[in-house]
Amino acid sequence: MPATTHPGIDVDDAWQAIEACFAQKWTDGLPVVPPTEPLVERMLAAGPWRADEVLLHEPVRDRTVTAWHAAINAVMAGCKPEYFPVVGAALIAIGDPEFTLHGPATSTGGAALMVIVNGPVRERIGLHGGGNLFGPGIRANATIGRTLRLVLLNCLDCRPGVLDQSTQGWAGKYTLCFAEHEAASPWEPLHVSRGFRAGQSTVTVFAAESNHNVLVHAAREPETLLVAFADTMAALGSFSPGRSVIVFAPEHAQHLKRAGWSRARTQAWLYEHARRPLADLKRAGKIEAQFLVNPDTRRWLYGPESDRAERGPDAADAHARVLPGDERIFVHRGLGPDDMLLSVGGGAAGGHSAFFPAWSRGRSVPFVTKEVPGEVPA
Amino acid sequence: MTRILDPTLRATPPRAATGAARPALLSGATIGLLANGKTHGMAFLDRVAEHLRARHGVGELLRATKPNASAPAPADDAALLAKHCTAVVTAIGD
Repeated sequence: MPATTHPGIDVDDAWQAIEACFAQKWTDGLPVVPPTEPLVERMLAAGPWRADEVLLHEPVRDRTVTAWHAAINAVMAGCKPEYFPVVGAALIAIGDPEFTLHGPATSTGGAALMVIVNGPVRERIGLHGGGNLFGPGIRANATIGRTLRLVLLNCLDCRPGVLDQSTQGWAGKYTLCFAEHEAASPWEPLHVSRGFRAGQSTVTVFAAESNHNVLVHAAREPETLLVAFADTMAALGSFSPGRSVIVFAPEHAQHLKRAGWSRARTQAWLYEHARRPLADLKRAGKIEAQFLVNPDTRRWLYGPESDRAERGPDAADAHARVLPGDERIFVHRGLGPDDMLLSVGGGAAGGHSAFFPAWSRGRSVPFVTKEVPGEVPA
Repeated sequence: MTRILDPTLRATPPRAATGAARPALLSGATIGLLANGKTHGMAFLDRVAEHLRARHGVGELLRATKPNASAPAPADDAALLAKHCTAVVTAIGD
């Protein structure tokens, strides 16, 4: 008889355990590492939290995830114990009240939970910021991101068709964690731009829809290079007042560095040029009826003059009627240059960067950055 | 035999909460309409209220709209609804 009193299921061997986890619906569709008590204890011991310490409280469903349950899911994801401080920090980040996790976790929008890691922890645990950045093959990247999804599935009941009502979702929901390639960046590291010291390790989380590949191989000047980025950001399919993340490939980042473009200048240029005429948005069914009524969305569409903007016919389909002036009203993606994060990552060769639109057809949720606690001394 | 630990919260006792008693009748009852902020939520609830009026003769309607669909209802709104309403209907799931 096993000595532990922790709830669980008893199995004869590892193979039975792997199959049992599937039968219990404890997985993300892929096999998990069966979490035995010694494995979970070892995982927990690698972080600074007590077993009963709350890492995440989701208030809409009133669910509390302690470090113990985080450790169980981290073992299942395949994390090494040394990854646990990053896992815990990421859970704390998505549990921040500003992130309002319930929305991105359950919406038809089907958001992935992106985790960008900065600071010395990247090298210490082998978090990858180079080639094949978003692809498979690196344990730390794969398993840290995976733990977040397992926590949502197992602890928050965000299962397909239950609380996860994603229409389609996307593959990033399995895992989406990477290190910023700080050495290849033209700017200060992302976390420094967000108020942290270079020597601190942090996670920055973002509710992300699927990315667009921004493919440019014949531009060197920023005002040529960034055209495709702005155009991609203004794509009708993902157009919204929401936020954005751009991950520049090192090859693209080099052009910005050589031209001396600052982070702020790059963001300002992208915001200014990522725009579409209101007429286009109406013709594409992107303008919902309430957008013309709600003061916040009116400000997004019409700017500071929204009070005086043409209201058009008082008809049920007013939002679909293209008015004569609509060709000259330009609507920007997001509400301002600060609505985007610029990061750098990927291999040294290749002009392939990424634009990630934020989850939701509205404002989405803010970016949240949290410090990764230092390792527990041996 | 080896124990594989349960990664869910099913074995964790939920926070103690008492379910409200089922109202004996709805005739003349004050009904709360809590829209979660998503598109057409209150318009949908208004239609529900029409049916409740027609079929059950409910009384006063108390409306509240969450400022953020992803967050719980503001404490003041929740308290007001709890204090004055016999029952509350909430919507909408998109």
